[in-house]
Amino acid sequence: MALDQLIIALPKGRILEEARPLLDAVGIHPESAFDDDGSRQLQFATNLEHVSIIRVRSFDVATFVAFGAAQIGIAGNDVLMEFDYPEIYAPLDLGIGGCRLCLAQSKELGETFDVSRLSHVRVATKYPETTSRYFEAQGIQAECVKLNGAMELAPKLGLTPRIVDLVSSGRTLKENGLVEVATISDVSSRLVVNRTALKVRSEEIGDWIEKFRRAVDAQAA
Amino acid sequence: MSETASPTLLPEGLRDVLPSDAAAEAALVEMLASSFNANGYDRVSPPLVEFESTLLAGMGAATADRIFRMVDPVSQRTLGLRADVTAQIARLASTRLHKAPRPLRLMYAGQVLRVKGHQLRPDRQFTQVGFELIGPDTVAADAEAIIVAAQAVAGIGIKDITVDLALPPLVPALLETAGLNGDEIELLYAALNHKDASEIRKLGGGQSELLCALVEASGPLNVARESLAKVDLPAAAAKHLKTLLAVADTVKAETPELALTIDLVENRGLQYHTGVTFFLFAKGSTREIGRGGRYTVSHGDDVSEPATGATLFMDAVLAVAPKVSVRPCVYTPYGTARDAIRNIQDDGFRVRASLSKDADMLAEARILGCSKMLKDGEVVDVPNER
Repeated sequence: MALDQLIIALPKGRILEEARPLLDAVGIHPESAFDDDGSRQLQFATNLEHVSIIRVRSFDVATFVAFGAAQIGIAGNDVLMEFDYPEIYAPLDLGIGGCRLCLAQSKELGETFDVSRLSHVRVATKYPETTSRYFEAQGIQAECVKLNGAMELAPKLGLTPRIVDLVSSGRTLKENGLVEVATISDVSSRLVVNRTALKVRSEEIGDWIEKFRRAVDAQAA
Repeated sequence: MSETASPTLLPEGLRDVLPSDAAAEAALVEMLASSFNANGYDRVSPPLVEFESTLLAGMGAATADRIFRMVDPVSQRTLGLRADVTAQIARLASTRLHKAPRPLRLMYAGQVLRVKGHQLRPDRQFTQVGFELIGPDTVAADAEAIIVAAQAVAGIGIKDITVDLALPPLVPALLETAGLNGDEIELLYAALNHKDASEIRKLGGGQSELLCALVEASGPLNVARESLAKVDLPAAAAKHLKTLLAVADTVKAETPELALTIDLVENRGLQYHTGVTFFLFAKGSTREIGRGGRYTVSHGDDVSEPATGATLFMDAVLAVAPKVSVRPCVYTPYGTARDAIRNIQDDGFRVRASLSKDADMLAEARILGCSKMLKDGEVVDVPNER
């Protein structure tokens, strides 16, 4: 019996590099164009006839998987938190893509974030939902200015005094005169699967989760 | 609001259903309804609008954030538009039909309206077709609900149906002893809904190992049964699980063609469920096509009655159901006798009658989408245009 198409959504960039060995370990070998950064191809065949890979932006991985356009994907919990898609399961922490989602502010505002007198903040971020929720929980209304990159410029140019962004070493922050004042969440990449796909193709998708689990355990060992 | 808004624009989540789609939906609703009916479920039809206080009484409270409200100019009381039908059937069972013999089997088909769509269901208005089985709290009743729902879906030609079984009371029971506060529990439920093992381990307190084991034990019935045998559950939880497995075995024995999966940490949108619940999935669908399960009908004064049931979401069903063929239409000349038209209709055709004396029959039949026409007293095919 021919197997149904299985689409795996992977994020471009740094996480992909770290995820690459895992793909090999679970026995998925993409065609050569996949490792060619110059390639404009969007979908890639693999050594398995029914499995193909799409390479998209990290936020779009969650969207493709949530709507069932891809059955499996790799996404950071930063993205999962932001969308909070009910149709995504994240059964496995892959232990890659480690960083943290942080609140940072310009040095002039001081080294700490004092919430006691604030009723409102302006924040530049790629994560407006997560940011609003974080501040709401502290009784502060957040006015989020959505940016897609170069968040560090916002305080410098007077767009917003604070930013919420992913931080790994913290060097970019420092170079732009910013201080990290709070960690909103630790971030790592998860194997994500579509809920309906997991129910309807239970054994097949369950097998893939197991394979990834073994690959992650082997890497950790 | 601007008065120059486009006349075609409808409010978000609402839409016009046009010919062929509307016919298909009506036909499928009727097929599903007659399948429930054939299993002894009697049709009832509660109103679209009730007093808010009765609509939200008992289990209806779970729909409080979903209903549209308005003020009744007559009684000056707040009215609510139903967002779900089950609570209305429960109200019937506890009021007008409380003396009706049990088991009480009722079914319904009707539209619901919700204040908000969600990602996978942007529609705010859609049709629900469902049934309720009120009275018995037995494995046989739980199994009947699943089988009746799945058979109706299979009956309209949907293939590869998976039934995912869940136990909403299980996790709350385990969390009672986990020593977590309200916020922590909320975060934990979010993690459980996403099956996020690493978050569950972090947030699960004293029960994190057990919860992770339950997440891993989710899957196809046989695999889950094996893994669950190794999990050491508290007595109350173990009893729930025993019922669930008994229900699964009954369903499997009676309808071996159904694929069964188990998911013990599922608790999405099941606020009123008290026992075995289930979701119906079909291959090709991006979301569940129906759900159901055990709940309690409140009769007031601490008296309550067990019940179960299921509801199918027609928007999701339509997306995966095979196309319903529309009966061919015969174009008849102006002035065709009513008796002649009735004869054609009795033969299973639809009839579109020409309303003008000097029509070009062939051209009009084509324009009006009739595949047949009445010519010299005979129904003939409309030839394809060259």
